[in-house]
Amino acid sequence: MSLILNNKLYNSRLIIGSGKYKDFNETKNALKSSGAEMITVAIKRTNLGQDTNQESLLNFIDSKKYKILPNTAGCFTADDAIRVSLLGKELLGDNLVKLEVLADKDTLLPNEEETLVAAKELVKLGFSIMVYTTDNVALARELEEIGCIAVMPLASPIGTGKGIMNSKNLKKIIYNANVPIIVDAGIGTASDATIAMELGCDGVLLNSAIAMSDNPILMAEAMKYAVISGRKAYEAKRMEISDIAIPSSNKKNSIS
Amino acid sequence: MNIIVNGDKISIEKNINLENFLKLNNINNKNIVIEVNKIIITKSMWKEKKIKEGDVIEIITAVGGG
Repeated sequence: MSLILNNKLYNSRLIIGSGKYKDFNETKNALKSSGAEMITVAIKRTNLGQDTNQESLLNFIDSKKYKILPNTAGCFTADDAIRVSLLGKELLGDNLVKLEVLADKDTLLPNEEETLVAAKELVKLGFSIMVYTTDNVALARELEEIGCIAVMPLASPIGTGKGIMNSKNLKKIIYNANVPIIVDAGIGTASDATIAMELGCDGVLLNSAIAMSDNPILMAEAMKYAVISGRKAYEAKRMEISDIAIPSSNKKNSIS
Repeated sequence: MNIIVNGDKISIEKNINLENFLKLNNINNKNIVIEVNKIIITKSMWKEKKIKEGDVIEIITAVGGG
């Protein structure tokens, strides 16, 4: 039932993002409630002029208990993503990074070309890359071939909560893959996460679905069970779909 | 002299090192990483690193994001 990323074993197949929460306490509580063991953070400028005692997000996440995954959110070029990856490595002391290079601010879809360029360079620099990508089957394979340790196709655009709009492509990506495939972006509610796992994804990465719900702590818990449930159903292998109704009880001893 | 910090132009005195710059500007020195002219300066070098006219400094941390 475990997921292995960068030679580390994770019991939870859910990874959560740390954005959009009301405050850091809510982030912390949602993380706990989700059962996730990995949380992704963005690497950005500090607010200058802040009080030296002002709390930092990192003070709310126990790095001994949780893997903190820096991401390159907000980067639109390979150069920027590489720069942010290096900053993340310096800040968090690890070579694991979530690579995300976006095409534009409007769609927030991945920039395939720049993602590939950045991934190649980061592999050379010794990074272990979990790469956010489109549902492009050929690109997913190429990203694996160049050495990404996990490929993370979107289910639908970032922050839309539209759920899985591309199950055929996701299935094909999963079928081809020798590295973990993690659906990243677009999950809207628990059933979306379950469907992703039933398709055979190795994990789910989500943020807004929890943070933008009315009750993030409760939704975090729902996601925890949704991912477990979907994975168990995948491993159990679902029944075959039949076009005709088949009774559950034996016909043989019926009274009529 | 003038430098740029996180995109803003500011004036500072000459001959200041990075460590003192943080103190003088009340910047929390925990959970940050610093770039000067796109080169990361590790914490152990902050004392040695003198800030020069026109330096572009980025003070970076982890924030919420997916």
